[in-house]
Amino acid sequence: MAVPKRKMSRASTRMRRAQWKADAPTLVKTIENGKTVYSLPHRAKVVTDSTGTPLYMEYKGRKVADV
Amino acid sequence: MAAPTKGPRLGGGPAHERLLLANLAAALFTHKSIKTTETKAKRLRPVAERLITFAKRGDLHARRRVLAVIQDKNVVHELFTEIAPLVELREGGYTRITKLGFRKGDNASMVQIELVLEPVNPKPKSAKKTAAAASTAPAAKAEEPEAPAEETSTEETSTDEVATDEATTDATATDETATDAASTDAAAAEDAPAEDAK
Repeated sequence: MAVPKRKMSRASTRMRRAQWKADAPTLVKTIENGKTVYSLPHRAKVVTDSTGTPLYMEYKGRKVADV
Repeated sequence: MAAPTKGPRLGGGPAHERLLLANLAAALFTHKSIKTTETKAKRLRPVAERLITFAKRGDLHARRRVLAVIQDKNVVHELFTEIAPLVELREGGYTRITKLGFRKGDNASMVQIELVLEPVNPKPKSAKKTAAAASTAPAAKAEEPEAPAEETSTEETSTDEVATDEATTDATATDETATDAASTDAAAAEDAPAEDAK
């Protein structure tokens, strides 16, 4: 089994870890009932009733699936 | 060389992949709408649409070819008797994939794939697009066959007559090329509407 010969320096560890980056998703901005909503494009949305209980998933005005 | 499969591979081997897709198709035909991962849905779509095309044909041979994929006779019967009449007027695009979100366990993109069983209401074709297509297509087809036909005819006639007698070639060759070109034009003009009709 291959074994590291030397201890990895703090600098090289940190240089490697500095490359772990999250990229921001591209969102679309829509205004629903006066509220600005950012959401992923081409994706069904959850429809909720007035108390916030999820009812079903909707895409382009059509019921697609249950939650 | 066979073309590689479009899309990612599924399962542990070719047989496993075939069975996965066949079972997904059977589930889609029984339930009309299933929730699965985006990867599987994208592989399923061509398989399911091909089976629906067989179902629209509706004869015994088509039924046997579908049974070679889906083993369950009940599902195939339902496909041929219930689903096929509903998509009779639809020219392809029998399934619809809607993205739902990401699964909790492995963050896989989940989709709802469903059969499009609503009656077809075709979009009215825009007058500009159809007119443009009608005007450009015959003109292009009429012009294209002329040039190669003329070239070949001149070559054939000139070589033939060079072989026979060299003295009177020029005048006769030009005459014959003219007549040949005219005949090829007529032939091309006759061919063009037939191609349009297809």
